[in-house]
Amino acid sequence: MSGPVETNEAVASRDEMIDSLAAALPEWLPTQRWFGGKDREITAVRPVSWTTLLDGDPLLIHLVVEVEQGDRTEPYQLLIGSRQSQVPDVAATASIGLENGLTCYEASGDADLTACLLELIIAGEPVDELRFEREPDVELTAGLRAHPITSEQSNTSLVYGNQYILKLFRKLTPGLNKDLMLHRALRDVDCQHIADPLGSISGELHGEELTIGMLQRFMPDAADGWVMATTSVRDFMADPSGLPPEELGGDFAGEAYRLGKAVATVHADLATALGTELADAAELQRTVAAMTERLDRVTAELPSLADHGPGLRAAFGKVAEIREPVSMQYVHGDLHLGQVLRTINGWLLLDFEGEPAATLAERSALRSPLRDVAGMLRSFDYAAQQLLVGQPEDPDRTARAMQWARRNRAAFCDGYAHVAEHDPRDSADLLRALELDKAVYEVSYEHANRPDWLTVPLASIDRIMTEGE
Amino acid sequence: MPQDPAPDAALVGLEETPHTGEAIAEDGTLVEPQADDFGHAEQATSDPEWFKRAVFYEVLVRAFSDSNGDGTGDLRGLADKLDYLQWLGVDCLWLPPFYASPLRDGGYDISDFRAVLPEFGTVEDFVHLLEEAHKRDIRVITDLVLNHTSDAHPWFQQSRNDPDGPYGDYYVWGDDDQRYADARIIFVDTETSNWTYDPVRGQFYWHRFFSHQPDLNFENEEVQEAMLDVLRFWLDLGIDGFRLDAVPYLFEEEGTNCENLPRTHEYLRKCRETVDREYPGRILLAEANQWPSDVVEYFGDPKVGGDECHMAFHFPLMPRIFMAVRRESRFPISEILAQTPEIPSGTQWGIFLRNHDELTLEMVTDDERDYMYREYASDPRMKANIGIRRRLAPLLDNDRNQLELFTAMLLSLPGSPVLYYGDEIGMGDNIWLGDRDAVRTPMQWSPDRNAGFSRSDPGRIYLPPIMDPTYGYEAINVEAQQSNAMSLLNWTRRMIEVRKQHNAFAEGEFVDLGGSNPSVLAYKRVWERPDGEHDVVLCVNNLSRFPQPVELDLSEHLGFTPVELTGSVRFPRIGELPYLLTLPGHGFYWFQLSELGDEGERRSQA
Ligand SMILES: Nc1ncnc2c1ncn2[C@@H]1O[C@H](COP(=O)(O)OP(=O)(O)OP(=O)(O)O)[C@@H](O)[C@H]1O
Ligand SMILES: [Mg+2]
Repeated sequence: MSGPVETNEAVASRDEMIDSLAAALPEWLPTQRWFGGKDREITAVRPVSWTTLLDGDPLLIHLVVEVEQGDRTEPYQLLIGSRQSQVPDVAATASIGLENGLTCYEASGDADLTACLLELIIAGEPVDELRFEREPDVELTAGLRAHPITSEQSNTSLVYGNQYILKLFRKLTPGLNKDLMLHRALRDVDCQHIADPLGSISGELHGEELTIGMLQRFMPDAADGWVMATTSVRDFMADPSGLPPEELGGDFAGEAYRLGKAVATVHADLATALGTELADAAELQRTVAAMTERLDRVTAELPSLADHGPGLRAAFGKVAEIREPVSMQYVHGDLHLGQVLRTINGWLLLDFEGEPAATLAERSALRSPLRDVAGMLRSFDYAAQQLLVGQPEDPDRTARAMQWARRNRAAFCDGYAHVAEHDPRDSADLLRALELDKAVYEVSYEHANRPDWLTVPLASIDRIMTEGE
Repeated sequence: MPQDPAPDAALVGLEETPHTGEAIAEDGTLVEPQADDFGHAEQATSDPEWFKRAVFYEVLVRAFSDSNGDGTGDLRGLADKLDYLQWLGVDCLWLPPFYASPLRDGGYDISDFRAVLPEFGTVEDFVHLLEEAHKRDIRVITDLVLNHTSDAHPWFQQSRNDPDGPYGDYYVWGDDDQRYADARIIFVDTETSNWTYDPVRGQFYWHRFFSHQPDLNFENEEVQEAMLDVLRFWLDLGIDGFRLDAVPYLFEEEGTNCENLPRTHEYLRKCRETVDREYPGRILLAEANQWPSDVVEYFGDPKVGGDECHMAFHFPLMPRIFMAVRRESRFPISEILAQTPEIPSGTQWGIFLRNHDELTLEMVTDDERDYMYREYASDPRMKANIGIRRRLAPLLDNDRNQLELFTAMLLSLPGSPVLYYGDEIGMGDNIWLGDRDAVRTPMQWSPDRNAGFSRSDPGRIYLPPIMDPTYGYEAINVEAQQSNAMSLLNWTRRMIEVRKQHNAFAEGEFVDLGGSNPSVLAYKRVWERPDGEHDVVLCVNNLSRFPQPVELDLSEHLGFTPVELTGSVRFPRIGELPYLLTLPGHGFYWFQLSELGDEGERRSQA
């Protein structure tokens, strides 16, 4: 694991340090926002590989550990820093106390240290098993310092001088990362709705390729779709006139329409780059089975869903009866308003990793583009209702939220249909099933994480079951 | 029809003053007044690039102040109010046309380029105004319409009556109305063709605007020279420049839309050469209501810093400022500025919120126009042509916070700001008045009779002053606001003063800072001082009615201290992390980014 210049002594003490770090991690990991395994006790943390990126004082080590939680073992990456002569300028939550009284810290917030990641990508030289690479024909500016983005996320992204963003995947999945793979494919067909991929960091785990980071162009002018949409909702809900959304200044439908066009364009680009295929009957059966299985699982946790059980099952069952051909292709997989950016040149889609809870096999399966449409429709519901969460029930406000959602969902579909030459609403059975399936997933997620928000997916299921849309 | 013996017959009221056509020379040419017939004004202090830093003020002579009690504002009245304008911080007046005119198009139908509309005064009065303005370091520019004249202009009278005389070829005549079929009709509401038949000459004449405004024939070298001489006439008297009205239309060419033709640009270069050679420091400002990417053509060749107009209005910015605030989204503004090309080094944009015309919506998409009508013109009477006829204050529901926010953006976005008379006190409009008169009511000076505008009998005022309880002159007037430290007027004056203390506002590079909150428009203006140091001003605008936080990436200015410009309060020093600010609803900040040493820091704590 160590570089050739290191003495045996240094290696020995480094090994010791890594061991005591691993011992401290079971307590520290659950305090990190990006740690995905908060649902279970950590039974062990094992270092699997480590690489010294900066030696001496300060010290920077890239570390991959396996986190064991009972029968589940998942790899995570960490950047570990250590300073002797100077206290690092990082948040207290980043520091990891070791048994022997030494302190090291998670170093993604230490701009002195993270600067080297960009330099390594520019140099394109491997360090031990870690490969730092630029995408073909990309020129990068050197000497930029980085700061982590402040929004909550499941990975850690570093912004270099307002020009580049390096996403360090926290939970690692062996195999070529889907986010990187789809970004490259879209870049190759000159897709206008992505932030161009510029470089990558990769390694190996148990002999398999492992994507560790992806460097992309950063859009300093961007605002994310969730913020844009909730700005409009806020304006609408605060207006005393009671006028419909199209009559008010903050109307979002124009944006929703353009967003629909952007999503349809990305779907078309993915199809061009990677092809499509038709789903056979077996695929449809599998889809119904997966949806039904999820429903059963969630109903077991949350009996209040049982009322809708028969209706939901029937809606899912309809998918198997679809006779017209269903086209499948690579899709985004986890599309919602938080995954799109409004820039002055239009909408961009981000983060093609897919649904966080899905396995790699699930994530890379061919999917219907309608799954993304359904995801976005769900997101409009969320945006509309977020001001109601945790508030006493108020039928007027609820009705107004619905009004906003209906208008923007429709505008999104209109925009999508304009580009796709196929209106997603014409595939009503499939779209409805996909939306309900997503809502069932949300029910279980909110139940586990944000009980206040449970009303959002439950209200949507209610509405779809009674009104049909 | 018999030949009209007196070509100046149409020029009512000019009998006593020098005017075009008062006599006819033997060769048939009209005698025209010469600059040397009048006194000349001293020039303002010399500064060839003054226009890049100037605060402009558009004032209608008719509406500002009436010196002789006839109910109509005049040039002497305006001259009497120069102390007020100097106090406010105005650097340059822009006067819409005050030439002799039958006034069928607000004075843009000029019937004598060398005479003043009698109700406004005389050429001597204008020289007096110039003289007084220059003493106060205020410059004066006026509109000049190159493209056409009124049909009452003696040139046109001669041209129609005497096709073979010296003026026979001054206009664009044709035997039929078939030529230049690809040119659009601009005033679709009133005109059906760009050609009108003249029974006197028995031919059709070409007009891009109203049929009573025949286009001059720029193919004719004599017309080109005659118009240069018109420029010289006023420049000799001491005027500081012209706003050239309707510039894209000077030349016609078969098979084109007859707009922005190369020869039109060629003629503008000729005008510019004349000004630069004979009258350095005076300016030309283009009025071309087009997309910025097309308008930049009117600045001319960037390699020589621009060789056509010194300035041009940025039309599309203004509706987008309104749109951005209504949508609580910076994108309408950010987008149009991103689409605005760089301009030559010797040129500047003119930007405005309102002017004497309606809020023009030509430069927005159809969707956006519907949106603007819905948002800002709830009453059909507020709509005019393709625009909205309202003043700033009523457009913003008289909301002081928004008035301040809009004005702050006007004073800090790239370009020289143009204020519209009366907006500095928040005057209202009268939508019951026809045409564009809604926004042309008398300036409100005091709560006295006629708003202090005129001594005349109220029945004789050219338009009644606003009298409603909110915007009427008893509530809103200069006198009351001057004595109230918190008034909009005093606030505006203070902001103009602050703007002038930092040349970055005028000449700094514009850098949109983006940021994750779409309701906050943040930008910096970066000016490289002659000594090589940078003067950086940071402007942060909350377009939302709700308070907003914003995180700005200012890491380029690590270690600098933002100092708020109106109160000199020091904000926390800029560190490596995004800089956090919170703004009240429709709030804004202007900062200078200062590199204060530790000493400065300590002093601030003492
Ligand atoms: N290229 C970019 N330009 C500007 N901002 C970006 C860019 N990429 C990402 N961001 C910002 O970072 C946020 C997180 O990005 P991303 O979705 O890729 O990370 P993530 O870890 O997968 O987040 P999450 O877990 O929330 O899905 C985005 O919502 C966006 O605000
Ligand atoms: Mg994401």
